[in-house]
Amino acid sequence: MFIRYKQPKKPPEGNVIKHSPLLNFAYLLGTVVIISAVIFVALGFFADWLAVRISPETERKIGDMLFHTISDEEIVDDKRIQYLEELLESLPESGETTRLPLTIHLIKSDVVNAAIMAGGHVFIHTALLEAVESENELAFVLAHELGHFQNHDPTKSLGRSLVFLVASMALGIGTSESGGVPDIVFRTGELTSLSYSRKQERAADLYGLSRAINRYGHGSHSLDFFKRLEEEEQEQGRLLKVSQYFSTHPLSKDRIVILNKAAAEKGWKMEGDAKPLPEWLHCPNMEECEPDAEE
Amino acid sequence: MDGLEILIFLFLLILGYFSGTYFEKRHYKSIRERERKTLHVPMVTFGAKQSLPEAQDAQLFVGSVVISVDYFKMISATLRNLVGGRVMVYESLLDRGRREALLRMKEEAMAWGANQIMNVRLETAAIGGRSGNNSGPGSVEVIAYGTGIR
Ligand SMILES: [Zn+2]
Repeated sequence: MFIRYKQPKKPPEGNVIKHSPLLNFAYLLGTVVIISAVIFVALGFFADWLAVRISPETERKIGDMLFHTISDEEIVDDKRIQYLEELLESLPESGETTRLPLTIHLIKSDVVNAAIMAGGHVFIHTALLEAVESENELAFVLAHELGHFQNHDPTKSLGRSLVFLVASMALGIGTSESGGVPDIVFRTGELTSLSYSRKQERAADLYGLSRAINRYGHGSHSLDFFKRLEEEEQEQGRLLKVSQYFSTHPLSKDRIVILNKAAAEKGWKMEGDAKPLPEWLHCPNMEECEPDAEE
Repeated sequence: MDGLEILIFLFLLILGYFSGTYFEKRHYKSIRERERKTLHVPMVTFGAKQSLPEAQDAQLFVGSVVISVDYFKMISATLRNLVGGRVMVYESLLDRGRREALLRMKEEAMAWGANQIMNVRLETAAIGGRSGNNSGPGSVEVIAYGTGIR
């Protein structure tokens, strides 16, 4: 057999497709951006959907994981915790249950704050106990937090992080350095911005007022704490002390107006006497202490 | 990623696009011209297990070329990795490498006086780039070798 080489008229051009690199790049970039945006939005909707559907056990686990990332100075073994727990337990209507037992964490801090976290962890700063002037005020703050919990607001506020938390729980991944919270959760950055929407605040306010009325028979004095905070907020200098509370609970100026209006519509009684606080609530173990040398 | 990083990224992307396109166009022009000039010398893969045609001399010729990926091609390919499909920006790069390597081998053989190049083989290797710790743009090496006879 003899093979003869036949010279082609033109050199072969290969099989590279003639294309515009710029158009190709724009197409790729567009595809990736659009898909990412769709996933991001879908993740947000999925998180909202998931927030009210995760089981209490899963929520408890998430709450415990997040709780370990908080390094505040917690006061344990104090009679005040017992008092706060009893007050909180007296707030729900008869027959109303919470999906998880609530745990009070008393935090030593001179910043006025109260918050509830996923899993039923309620944080009360000692400064709050100094700032309230009647039990009605304190009960309203606690009931407001309870309202957030009953509406699943703490899990909702986790946003997209919630999806990763639940997924990591299911897959059993997570790192010990971050208290069991997977790194990706910190990367989504929503963990630190636990703020509620105005709508959520209004719902919690309404719930809080209704439960305060449920306990005391009237809504009087319950809102005084917020009235004072609002006034203090106007003043320079004291702004910092109360700002932490407002960073997690955005305060609108018409908050009290709206509550009074809602109370008038529902025929809620808004006059009555204030129930005094235990005398030494601002002192450790509620034992008599010097006003300045407290804690 | 702050403003400066984005600026550097865009600068590299634009630089990569314009310089990359310019060099590719110029390279293809040169490749086509030289391919036409050397077309009359046969270059075949035949000859590994067959006896070579009768000739006086036979010699090994090697053509090697290294071409760098530009930043624009690299980002394009990274995006393509996410989506899937033909990485056309790299296809033209390898096509240039292959043809350039063949030409360098052929031109050397022709200078020696070869009237045929038999048993031609091609090989590629990646240099630097995404392999290992280095995440910058890499290069590709294409080697062509064959037996020239005269
Ligand atoms: Zn709130």
